[in-house]
Amino acid sequence: MSIAVSRALCRVLSRQTAVPTNVSSLMGVDGHVSQGPWFASVLTLKTSAPLRAEPKKKKKVDPRREQMVRERLKKKLKKLERVPPELIPIEDFTTPAKYMDETRVRGAPQLPFEESERRALLLKEWSRYKQTQHRAEMEAVGLAVEAQREALEELRLESEELYQAALRPDPLLFPFNHQGPSYTPPKAQYEAPEGKYNNITKVYTQ
Amino acid sequence: MAAPCSRMANRPLWQFITNVRRTGLKHTGVRQISLSSACRAATQTRSKTEGVPSPWKLYGAVCLQRLPVISQERNPIEDQFAELMHQMELERSLLSDHEQRLLEDSERMTRKQADNYDSDEEEADYGGQETITAQDQEDTWEQKLKHFQPALRDRDVGGTPLGSVERCLGDSLVLLVQQTVGKETIWLLPQAQWEAGETLRQTAERGLSSLPGQLCGEADFKATFLGNTPCGVYRYKFPKEVRTERCVGAKVFFFKAFLSAGSASQKEPFLWVKKTELQGYLKPPYLEKVDRFILNL
Repeated sequence: MSIAVSRALCRVLSRQTAVPTNVSSLMGVDGHVSQGPWFASVLTLKTSAPLRAEPKKKKKVDPRREQMVRERLKKKLKKLERVPPELIPIEDFTTPAKYMDETRVRGAPQLPFEESERRALLLKEWSRYKQTQHRAEMEAVGLAVEAQREALEELRLESEELYQAALRPDPLLFPFNHQGPSYTPPKAQYEAPEGKYNNITKVYTQ
Repeated sequence: MAAPCSRMANRPLWQFITNVRRTGLKHTGVRQISLSSACRAATQTRSKTEGVPSPWKLYGAVCLQRLPVISQERNPIEDQFAELMHQMELERSLLSDHEQRLLEDSERMTRKQADNYDSDEEEADYGGQETITAQDQEDTWEQKLKHFQPALRDRDVGGTPLGSVERCLGDSLVLLVQQTVGKETIWLLPQAQWEAGETLRQTAERGLSSLPGQLCGEADFKATFLGNTPCGVYRYKFPKEVRTERCVGAKVFFFKAFLSAGSASQKEPFLWVKKTELQGYLKPPYLEKVDRFILNL
């Protein structure tokens, strides 16, 4: 492209120089068109000193510039990554909007005086019943602990070896699973019906 | 050693122990580390293993409990309170989706039966008359429930034999066996004598597996022992005729276990009894010690 430009410039300038041929003292004896110092640089556009030197300068500066750009980008990325991960929302703590609806409110019944009295007295009796139950439980547990302590004491008096063996924890005991009491006893040879269900729980990933 | 031994039989245990310690210190030269009770016990046992064996026979027994299978019947006050709680919760609650649907359906029915009923308007809102009302759904659910027959709660009203595991499903039961101890055959928790080289827990396990039913292969108790520590001890002295220098009496260490699986066919001589019924079978001093660690919770 530069060659074409230089050729076009030469043609233009030679046309300009061709017109005042009588006046110009630039014409040589041979008829060779010797252009002046102003036009020399145009023809030698491609190979002048500044053009030759510039690519070499780029080799020194550009890698550093590129490196700087890359470092800045990396720093920005790190800043973005340092943001703490979003907390998983606990769905139990947010009341769903549909329960705030007022149409759902049940009519509050007006309790007669006797009813409210009966309730208050029943609650008090219940607390007394539960207190006696708790005391009995605590006593029973205390007796059991005391019995165990006595047993260990007697065992120690017997033999130290057996005592140490008794104190060792049992690794095979846990995990201990036991099916607790239900309302009705289990039916012998009962096959529970197969139930299909769609699991729609939301799974969050951090 | 003859003279001190004859004295040992008549004196209480603590004096006997101090005698042994003194003799041990003199003859075997046990180092006196400190006078704390723990070290005293250690020196005693060391002197015992070196010189004098323990005069107490050791037994390991197992207190096998079958935990309750069904919930207990409610007391009158518990009944009343449960009802009250249910009522109060109902009063304080909001209407559920199902209840709202019921209300809407009933409103729609009343609107249909009214004179100025515009069916086009209704259909535009709800789209199609093929909807199943909530009441219909409730009826189908009730029908399904009636098809299912649960097992009865109070099965042993007629009186299942005492040896069956299935009796008194609401309470925790304890296993009792009849064993010959000395000259008598008495009911007690299954026990076995301790042999050297095994821990007391292994003795108890052996006592459980060597029951007459187990050996024949009829009764198969799968028990989970709760740890290596004994839960109780019963110490008794032999009658004077049987007492010798070597054995004054016996110490029975009890271990707790839960029944995880048991076979139904059990003939005598097993007994599964509640805590309140233990009185009829166990001797008073034995019962006193055993009663403490059998919890009815």
